[in-house]
Amino acid sequence: MKIIIVGAGEVGFHIAQRLSEENQDVVLIDKDPQKIRRINDHLDVQAFLGSGTSPNVLKDSGIKEADMLVAATDSDEVNLIACLLARHLNHYMIKVARIRNWEYLAEKDLFDKELLGVDHIINPQSEMVDLVLDLMEVPGASEVINFADGRVKLIGFNICKDSPFAGSDLLSLKELEEKPLIGAIVREGQVIIPSGEDTIQTDDLVYVVVRSDGLDQVTKIFCPHEETLRRVIIIGAGQTGSALAAALDKTRINAKIIDKDTDNCSKLAETLERVVVIEGDGTDKELLQEENIQGTDFLVVVTGDEESNILISLLGKGLGVKRTITRVSKLSYIPFLSTIGIDTVLSPRLSAIRAILQYIRKGKVISVAPLKGEYAEAIEAEALETSDIVNIPLHKVKFPKGAILGAIVRGDEIIIPKGDSIVRPNDRLIIFAARKVLPRLEKLLTVKLEYF
Amino acid sequence: MHYKVIARFTAILLIFLGISMAAPLLVSVIYRDGSTFPVLWSLTVTTLFGLMLFICSWGKNSTQMNHRDGVAIVTLGWVMAALFGTLPYLLSGSIPDFTNAYFESVSGFTTTGASILNDIERLPEGILFWRSQTQWLGGMGIIVLSIAILPYLGVGGMQLYKAEIPSPVVDKLKPRISETAKSLWKVYVLITVLEILLLKFGGMSVFDSICHSFCTLPTGGFSTKNASMAQFNNQYYDWVVILFMLAAGINFSLHYRLLKGDFRKFGRDAELKVFFVIVALFVLVITFDIYGPVYDSLGKAFRYAAFQVSSIITTTGFVTADYDVWPSFSKFILLMCMFLGAMAGSTGGGIKTMRVMLLLKHGFREIFRIVHPHAVTPVKLGGKAVPQDVMSSIWGFFILYMGLFIAAAIIMAALGLDLVSAISSVAASIGNIGPGLGIVGPVKNYQSIPFIGKWVLLFCMLLGRLEIYTVIVLMTPEYWRK
Repeated sequence: MKIIIVGAGEVGFHIAQRLSEENQDVVLIDKDPQKIRRINDHLDVQAFLGSGTSPNVLKDSGIKEADMLVAATDSDEVNLIACLLARHLNHYMIKVARIRNWEYLAEKDLFDKELLGVDHIINPQSEMVDLVLDLMEVPGASEVINFADGRVKLIGFNICKDSPFAGSDLLSLKELEEKPLIGAIVREGQVIIPSGEDTIQTDDLVYVVVRSDGLDQVTKIFCPHEETLRRVIIIGAGQTGSALAAALDKTRINAKIIDKDTDNCSKLAETLERVVVIEGDGTDKELLQEENIQGTDFLVVVTGDEESNILISLLGKGLGVKRTITRVSKLSYIPFLSTIGIDTVLSPRLSAIRAILQYIRKGKVISVAPLKGEYAEAIEAEALETSDIVNIPLHKVKFPKGAILGAIVRGDEIIIPKGDSIVRPNDRLIIFAARKVLPRLEKLLTVKLEYF
Repeated sequence: MHYKVIARFTAILLIFLGISMAAPLLVSVIYRDGSTFPVLWSLTVTTLFGLMLFICSWGKNSTQMNHRDGVAIVTLGWVMAALFGTLPYLLSGSIPDFTNAYFESVSGFTTTGASILNDIERLPEGILFWRSQTQWLGGMGIIVLSIAILPYLGVGGMQLYKAEIPSPVVDKLKPRISETAKSLWKVYVLITVLEILLLKFGGMSVFDSICHSFCTLPTGGFSTKNASMAQFNNQYYDWVVILFMLAAGINFSLHYRLLKGDFRKFGRDAELKVFFVIVALFVLVITFDIYGPVYDSLGKAFRYAAFQVSSIITTTGFVTADYDVWPSFSKFILLMCMFLGAMAGSTGGGIKTMRVMLLLKHGFREIFRIVHPHAVTPVKLGGKAVPQDVMSSIWGFFILYMGLFIAAAIIMAALGLDLVSAISSVAASIGNIGPGLGIVGPVKNYQSIPFIGKWVLLFCMLLGRLEIYTVIVLMTPEYWRK
């Protein structure tokens, strides 16, 4: 598959890296010679110097034979024009655009087949807001990923010292009534796709597959001390912060939002009913104490300055906040943040990458989530009738090593698979896989060639 | 530095090289020339050594490499390939002395074509074939071949590619480097086959057509005959070889585009135009210079001038005439051709047309700026501005090339060579041409060069083939500092 990516910023770069590692033909376009050089040094992709809004550059990059265009620059306008040109130059290609401006997003007709023909819009902001709301729903979780329209959830729990599972192996979990399935363990930045003998250790991040109706029990098992959420403080009233405040305004959660900017605050105060808007500096310790930070369940730090975000979160932790969510864009920071005590990272770029990758995956893949450290993915896919995986007992399926089937969703039923379970056509599968086995897994899931 | 990665890649390279010795083995079996067992032994030793190294360097993450590793792999790969390439010469007794055998092997792989053999025709066919094959493998690059064959190197492949083909402007034909390498090799094989067929239909024996084509496309210049192409004295062969030497001197990505039907890019290439203007100009000037004093017919003068100019400017090194007896004006132009070299991205050596073009443009720009001190005048190539860092890299290359040339020529003079021989032997080695002037002239060979001189020259060949930087960076203390 040939994919053209416009914009070699962090989002474009990472998508290109991921796809080229999976042996796709990737062409990157950027107008910054420095970025082009960096790409040539680090990635096995073709790089073109020029603007994604130039028809000639797009033609040179081989848009006529390309299957997909990903417009991932920081500018909505560039992304829109790139999509328009792509539609003009190659009518049948799939177009994915990263759009952030709410006003554009509100104009739904803009992206229709008649006008721009954008197949998929990525809006990291709204995805981040959804993520925060999901996290608030499951106390104690550091990550929540929805599968099967939210009926199955993948929840990342940090194993603390007093957890009943620290040190026990996975087989012992099977004796529990709920039989929670652990799909992946992240230990010291490495992702382990576990087998029965692997043990859970303190400070691990374990990913558990749960049905949404069994959520409470599982949460109780993994985090016995967590209570339900009552008090939230948001710092930073930018787009993300405002959207989040608006969402919380409709709930019974007791929320406050703090921002330095007077205009921002007064505008926000007009629209919000229950959420308290406070004008002040998020780094101000007295202000935070005044607003009773020590008893807060959630501190969401989403100012525009990511270094401040990290420090404010640490300050909040020091002042007694139970959990923090920190917005950090720079991907190179993310792996280290958990070691310095940041609970959950919110990254618009990671959200964008996630969303784009989800769309790019071959076959009937419904959603994909890269797990922490990005060495593994959770994949939700539909089992095709022609795939090698259906209609035979699972222990006979040649599953690549490093991949496990986490759950089978059949209609309303959710099955945690055993060796003798059988996958039926049209089942939805939730699979955990290390990245290096993805191509093999893809082959297993997609249609066999002889079918045609 | 990832020593395991370096060892592993070298091992793979040696296994490839060992397997490729099956071709001369087959030839020696067909001709029953007595070199079958020496070649078989060479094949076995090379492959086994490669396998052993491969097993020793077994470990995880074997394709993760950075730019430093790439440089080391490429240089070491070439040195090792040439080292194991000596085995057929040594074991068959064709070249009993190690220095001479290594000289011949390096000269082969770097596509120089300088020989130390007094009587080439004495050699068994298998060994002659191996000699031509080393050139053919070295032409498009043994590393590029490995990138094309090995399943997945990813970024590592890119690092290697850049270290082996350090063209001033990176031109990726396909999104993936392994695909690019494959495309280049396909074009290379295709053109080689075409030349073999044309020579064969002209009446040359199958063996000679293959051997000579294997040495034309890489712009190598080894011949199976003592007097090189002159021995055939056949007008048809000369023109076919001229055609293919010039083709080999053209950027192979242009050939690829041409085969894909993109005539526009081919016709508009600025470097190509300059290259052909230079060739045409030199051929005409030399034709009129040698018409009269050397040759009595204009046709003959034109044919010999065209052959010699094409041969030397593309850095091939086939000869059809003893240009050492030509007037000094013609000799000087040929000497200049040794420095000029062919197009960037071709299999030829030398400084390369593109670099010379850009350097001259840069020079003229400075003159222009004396008149218009505030003018904004980027150096342009084909309507696009050349980035400043590319320009400074080209200047650096030029200075190092000339500096190393002077240093090596001084050593050669110190070893007792006369001025013309000292200059031309180094120019012909660092430019990967082969025959020079004087005692290394077209009808002579490198046998008479002193022991130290041979090592200096073979080092120059390696420098020239890997375009200076890749080899020289390994010798800086900065490279080894952690």
